[in-house]
Amino acid sequence: MADVVTVPQVQPVQPALRFLRVVPGILLLAAVGYAGKLLEQNVGAYAKAHHWTFPNIEYVLWAIILGLAISNTVGVPEIFRTGVATYEFWLKAGIVLLGARFLLGDILKLGGVSLVLVALEIVGSLAFMTFLGRLFKLKPKLTTLLAVGSAVCGVSAIIATKGAIEADDEDSSFSIAAILALGALALFTFPVIGHFLHLSDKAYGLWAGLGVDNTAEATAAGALYSDAAGKLAVLVKSTRNAMIGFVVLAYAIYWASKGQAQAVGNKAVFLWQKFPKFVLGFLFISVLATYHFFNKDQVGALANLSRWAFLLTFAGVGLRTNFSDMRKQGLRPFAVGAIGEVVIAGFTLGLVYGASKIFGW
Amino acid sequence: MSTEVAASKPESGWKLSLDTWAVVVALLLALLVRMGVFKHIPW
Repeated sequence: MADVVTVPQVQPVQPALRFLRVVPGILLLAAVGYAGKLLEQNVGAYAKAHHWTFPNIEYVLWAIILGLAISNTVGVPEIFRTGVATYEFWLKAGIVLLGARFLLGDILKLGGVSLVLVALEIVGSLAFMTFLGRLFKLKPKLTTLLAVGSAVCGVSAIIATKGAIEADDEDSSFSIAAILALGALALFTFPVIGHFLHLSDKAYGLWAGLGVDNTAEATAAGALYSDAAGKLAVLVKSTRNAMIGFVVLAYAIYWASKGQAQAVGNKAVFLWQKFPKFVLGFLFISVLATYHFFNKDQVGALANLSRWAFLLTFAGVGLRTNFSDMRKQGLRPFAVGAIGEVVIAGFTLGLVYGASKIFGW
Repeated sequence: MSTEVAASKPESGWKLSLDTWAVVVALLLALLVRMGVFKHIPW
């Protein structure tokens, strides 16, 4: 008879230690973000005082550029990495707090329009990316991950789909790298194109929310254009995020029917698990604001809290983007992603133009 | 005589997703602003 020796598992890290581990990275996010804010205030004033012609660069771009410079030169030391990864947390908290600046009527009006455009964007993007994946002879599950990442919401959608369709780690790394690299490019190209085409804040915000894949990059691309465009980009992107469960469920059922993934049990539970809860938080705060739970000063305070949270997010976007890591992932998935993104950006711009004509924006 | 080594399962804790934590923290901050704990947040 075999003796069974029970060895206690390694104890999980204590909550206090876990908290201490994130502190250096959060301080780095705050330092980079605040440096971006100081640069915005001071560089313009300095250039003006010395009669230089210098474009007005917003704190959003400074924070991202500083983060990129650190990440791609000295790199982010190990001690900061856990804390830097919290930028997603700040992004979601910032979106919830931003809800105070939306009245429910605006959300229903804009959300209704964006819901139709989001549905068209998702169907068009999934179809085109699937076609492109087949054309380039990518692995079918890699194609699925790239399609979901481009159509719905970047990294979160890829991670959710990876688990549901039992895709390889390598495929998800490829897809995430491609989506992140393309998101970084969108940050710099979308505002330039928007200004070139003289898009209104509303049209641009809608386009950034529809065309940029990752939520952090969509928020930053919107904020780079204007405050109003940033607000709308977040609303549209959140509408896209809300669709994640349905798209992942559809793919999970498809791959299960081919015997290459586990069958989905309770579909309602599946949808709830995949549903981004911050969208509910955003709606809840906007309901409170609509019914005057907060006075005007308090709405201003919540808006500023949201800006601070986004400041940490923008610093994180720069700090976690490493171009040499992305190069290692190979060219083919990146090429598929790039072609797809250019076509999707053109397609969503067409949708926005159509909506602008109909609604007179 | 062979000896099997089995790891005892840790107690499954009450875990919230990052998403839910972000909502909880944001709502808590909103409540503190509403209660007047944070009167003015500068930008």
